[in-house]
Amino acid sequence: MRAFERSMSRRAAGVVRLALVLPLMALVSVDMARANDPRTILDAYVAQAGSASAARGERLYRGKFTGGRTAESCTACHTDNPKAAGQHVRTHKGIDPLAPVAQRDRFTDAAKVEKWFKRNCNDVLGRECTVQEKADFTAYMISIR
Amino acid sequence: MERTGSGINWKNLALLTLGVAGTLFWIAQAPASDDAVFPMPSGRLYAAECGGCHTAYAPGFLPARSWRRMMNELADHFGEDVSLPEPERLAILKDLELLAADNPQASQRMRRIAASIPANAAPQRISETAFFRFMHDEVPNHFWRRKKIGSKANCGACHIRADQGRYGEREVRIPPAD
Repeated sequence: MRAFERSMSRRAAGVVRLALVLPLMALVSVDMARANDPRTILDAYVAQAGSASAARGERLYRGKFTGGRTAESCTACHTDNPKAAGQHVRTHKGIDPLAPVAQRDRFTDAAKVEKWFKRNCNDVLGRECTVQEKADFTAYMISIR
Repeated sequence: MERTGSGINWKNLALLTLGVAGTLFWIAQAPASDDAVFPMPSGRLYAAECGGCHTAYAPGFLPARSWRRMMNELADHFGEDVSLPEPERLAILKDLELLAADNPQASQRMRRIAASIPANAAPQRISETAFFRFMHDEVPNHFWRRKKIGSKANCGACHIRADQGRYGEREVRIPPAD
């Protein structure tokens, strides 16, 4: 009798565990289907640009420019340290770190990456970035450990 | 000589406890008199597109004509080009119009904001409206200059639930001096 009870409760526990784990697994798989790996995004840029240089990307990140109307450099908002939280120079709204190592969802959504390259390159350079610049910049961000 | 119904006995103690508990519950449930909760657009579009660079302001801070003008001038949005694809622009504008200060569905507070804006004006900066200035008139200038605040556009610096449209005084935490 006791053995029967124990086996029943074990089965019940198994069902409960499954009920808990299944939706979680579904969530994770949905998340993985939607989110790209930063490497996938870099690879897509490299496929167009031919190469990518993290060193060139860092020079772009730290460079000072005059073309844009919002800021003279990426670092003006994103700070000297891509792993640190930044602050918009005009609105002062907080900005999550740029480096994927510090902010997991960075460089995981290709459309979002494109959108912000378009806006922020205009803000700083006064023009859109080239594919080469995007490849270099992404390579630099991914290289940060 | 036992008198029932008065003095300290279990029944009266229970009644007293119940009464006190009920009163406390009623006090806790009552909305704060300053409850300033504004409806926010649902979904992620508004927060992602408008809340990327600045606070995702409650649409109820401005009348629909202000939002229409703003959404028509995204190519020069306070000096920045923040153009959106047309479907997204229209979806956001629809929400803004629906939740604007002068919508017939608007709350009392929103209607007061709408009434304080001249009919021929379509203000673009919330911080320049009479209502904003009135509500913040006790905030000294040097507060705005604190690093964590920095700008009157940065609602979320002090209104910790601004992203949910909650601007009540009880939900204000002013960052300390630098």
